[in-house]
Amino acid sequence: MFSAEGKLFIGFGSSLPLFGCEIRLPHADPNMAEIETLGILDEIQSLVSDKLQVVSYKWLSRNFLVSSNDAKRLLQDFVEKRGTGVEVVYTLSGWLKTDPSVYHIRLVSKPKLTEVKQEFDENCSVQIYSVQACLPKDPAVLWNAEFVQAEELFKQPHEVNNCLRDNRFCGILNSFVKRNAEEANGTTSVLPVKTTGTSGSSGYTLANQSPTIPQPQQKKIQGTSPNVTLQSPNVVKDVKNESKPAENKLKVPQLTVNTKKGETDKNSSGTGGALANMWGRASAKSKAECASAKTNGISNSADAQICAREEIEHESSDDEGQGVNVRRSYNGEVGRKRRVVFDFSDEEDEFKDAVNLASPDPPKKKSMLDSKRSSYSSDIEKSKLNFEEEKEDKPNFKHRKETDRKSKEENLAFGNHNNMNSSSSEKVINQVPAVDTIAKDKTRDAAPNSPKRKKVLKTRIDERGREVTEVVWEGEEETKPESDTTKKADNIPASNNSNRPSAVKKSPAVTANAPLNQVGKTGSKKAGNKDPKQGNILSFFKRV
Amino acid sequence: METEDSSSENGLLHRKQALYSSLDSCFEIQKEMYRGQQYSQIYFARLHLMRTLLYSLLPNWKPHIHVCTVIGLEEGKECIIVGTLYKHMKLKPSILEEYSKERSATPLVRPHNFMHPDDHLILEDESGRIKVCGDVLLPSVYVTGVVVALHGKETGTGDFWVEDVMEAGIPHQIERPIKSGEDKYVIFVSGLDIGSSTSNPLKFQLLVDHITGHLGDKKEQSIAAKIVRVIIAGNSVEIPRGLLNGQNLGSKDQFTLSEPIKELDIQLTQIAAGIPVDIMPGPNDPANFSLPQQPLHRCLFPSSSAYNTFRSCPNPHLFQLDDVSLLGTSGQNIDDLEKYSDANDKLEFLERTLRWRHVAPTAPNTLGCYPFTDRDPFFVETCPHVYFVGNQEKYETRLIKGAEGQIVRLICIPRFSETGVAVVLNLRNLECHALSFGTEFG
Repeated sequence: MFSAEGKLFIGFGSSLPLFGCEIRLPHADPNMAEIETLGILDEIQSLVSDKLQVVSYKWLSRNFLVSSNDAKRLLQDFVEKRGTGVEVVYTLSGWLKTDPSVYHIRLVSKPKLTEVKQEFDENCSVQIYSVQACLPKDPAVLWNAEFVQAEELFKQPHEVNNCLRDNRFCGILNSFVKRNAEEANGTTSVLPVKTTGTSGSSGYTLANQSPTIPQPQQKKIQGTSPNVTLQSPNVVKDVKNESKPAENKLKVPQLTVNTKKGETDKNSSGTGGALANMWGRASAKSKAECASAKTNGISNSADAQICAREEIEHESSDDEGQGVNVRRSYNGEVGRKRRVVFDFSDEEDEFKDAVNLASPDPPKKKSMLDSKRSSYSSDIEKSKLNFEEEKEDKPNFKHRKETDRKSKEENLAFGNHNNMNSSSSEKVINQVPAVDTIAKDKTRDAAPNSPKRKKVLKTRIDERGREVTEVVWEGEEETKPESDTTKKADNIPASNNSNRPSAVKKSPAVTANAPLNQVGKTGSKKAGNKDPKQGNILSFFKRV
Repeated sequence: METEDSSSENGLLHRKQALYSSLDSCFEIQKEMYRGQQYSQIYFARLHLMRTLLYSLLPNWKPHIHVCTVIGLEEGKECIIVGTLYKHMKLKPSILEEYSKERSATPLVRPHNFMHPDDHLILEDESGRIKVCGDVLLPSVYVTGVVVALHGKETGTGDFWVEDVMEAGIPHQIERPIKSGEDKYVIFVSGLDIGSSTSNPLKFQLLVDHITGHLGDKKEQSIAAKIVRVIIAGNSVEIPRGLLNGQNLGSKDQFTLSEPIKELDIQLTQIAAGIPVDIMPGPNDPANFSLPQQPLHRCLFPSSSAYNTFRSCPNPHLFQLDDVSLLGTSGQNIDDLEKYSDANDKLEFLERTLRWRHVAPTAPNTLGCYPFTDRDPFFVETCPHVYFVGNQEKYETRLIKGAEGQIVRLICIPRFSETGVAVVLNLRNLECHALSFGTEFG
């Protein structure tokens, strides 16, 4: 073990030191340098002769913490002083004589050196690459020892900044490289500045420090303080530490970056349809919870969490494009009266056929809403509330479960009659397009209190050829208020709900007192709805 | 401009920097919504886009000839029609055949060319289609998906006899300011195929060492210090697909499966620690199949993605370094052209795609493509200064000039695992040279 002032030498053994200072072999102190070199040379000797290892300059530099150039010098010394009996491999690099447009770098063994040198231009450079006991047949063997060492360095904990990770022993310094040595998984993905011109060092986020702070102008900050000294490996650490204060300075310009990013992260609905956003978000909700009020539709990707974090920042920018703030209503706050404007007109048609690639909503949400409905009273107010909440849920259930859709839509349509006075619903209603089986659903729960009802799971093929499984109530209580459905009658395709005919009976009676009954109908419908929904969500899933 | 010269400070060199900006937003598909649509919309978008362009160019070409749609053709009357070409090919393989081949674990045999002397071209627009004949439009040159303007007349047999053809032409190029500047190099490499039996890890290690400044003497390192970016153009790993037989993998198999990616990550860490690197997905990489291929996920590179110099990019990739704009792919577009048309060399294919102003005209016909509904992202808006394609057989390069004085450097990047050759481009003067590695020291 040798140590001298200002130098640290950890030698012997193949264990890799985690930390170390770069060793400089100052020529000003030849005695010291010589002693150290001797030690290393001994080491190399034992490795090559006894352990039969390939000692390449790179391996040497990482093992003894010397720069690559110094390692090459060491090997050169070794070859000169103790070179007998060891094979040496050189790198020959230069322009080829035969093809002047090719810069060739070649490994060549000592015996062939002069011969191969002929192929190169006069200015080619020769450098020692490795020493070993004997030349392997397969050149890749030269690489093995080095790679094993690299792998070990690679496997070290993420926080450690070893010589592999900061490239400290090379001959070229790049002060703009930043590495996030913290939580590897927490880093936001590299979605840096897309449009502004930045250098390669920019656009990297250190998520742990604060959510989503890309560093677009990092380079500029760094550029003004190029004071990194090249002597110590702490350079990289310093630079990294600098990055933290630098980030904070850059918050303002980053917002613009973020908004751009936020836009790109926005939901899959390229047309900005609110409905699609909602249903995409609905499935993401279970992951993102209330943290991100508006998540995008990338719920199923691994980036959901990352994007969710970003979304918090970008909410404002997202909202502009949407016009609908449905998300908040989903957070269980269904009791609150809220004005929700839905842009139904286009979306219904567009997204009717859209393939929903998001996962279905979690059942708990539905039951939450169901419980709300269960406390129904004949209060118009309440019905309005329920209507709204049902409306909000509409996009949620906009998938192949026809039951839900129909039930929602019926309520909407019904609300059409009910809440004529309510301006909030009016907007919605006017835009409610023709939906299937509205009337049918309307009728279904006209008589909620009748004990003769029975829930039945029915599978049928609807007019589009899709197989639809729905829970319907069987029994004569099903009503079909024809008069109420005059508006929608045209829109109802031939429905094959067997309960329909029986529903017709009740309609005259029901329509007798128009306003009251309408309310009643809403209520009953809702109540009727609530039962199948409430009871059957769980049973439906159990059955499945 | 935050560039630093490579003057040595206390004996160490500084790496040069270049301003980078990525223009890949058009290749991202996160915003797209899949509604079960097929490809008519992307074709329509392409036709619409390019027809507008061609109509604007017609006055300069043949101002006196009347323009009409296919349905409006009158026999014997000279006119110009604009539409998408469809090449009817006798030997074109059917999708079912390809499907059954793809299902097997063994990779597809490299396909040969499907051309046949009986191939003929058909021009189609939204009103109809008409068979095209004549000596001017050679079926061997054109492929399905190219939008052109044809001048000719309808013959008695119901074909369209072509007298002249006009392509969209090389787009306008933003001129680079002429300044002496300093040499800055960009390294292009592709086809690393880490994990395959043909790849030699030592060669790649030499490349990494050279780029990062370990290898070489002072002079060489000072040249290496001028390298500002590394672009890896696809096919970086070869996953042992034989293990993927549909069953659950044991831990040993899982280890074998992830070895190549881990090795790539280690190497990329070494590169990223010193120099900015862009990695693009290729046909064999763990990315999606259809173009535009989305960037490789950063979970594949746990160590390298910690660096701000590491960037995963889509395929095709469009970006700007200083004031040079570069566009390139990992090879699928040119390989597909090679299957369905003929040219003297790959650079000619490259040039054709530029003249057709479309990076991948055979998408979605024979090249997997996302069914965009309102745009065609492969349309080349402005002419790049450098146009590259990866995973080719050999290194080739050429400088082409356009009608308006555009200058484009075309580069074919060879497969590194087979050739050991990477490409070095000098941003200052768009000069190119090869960087080759040899490890046979015996």
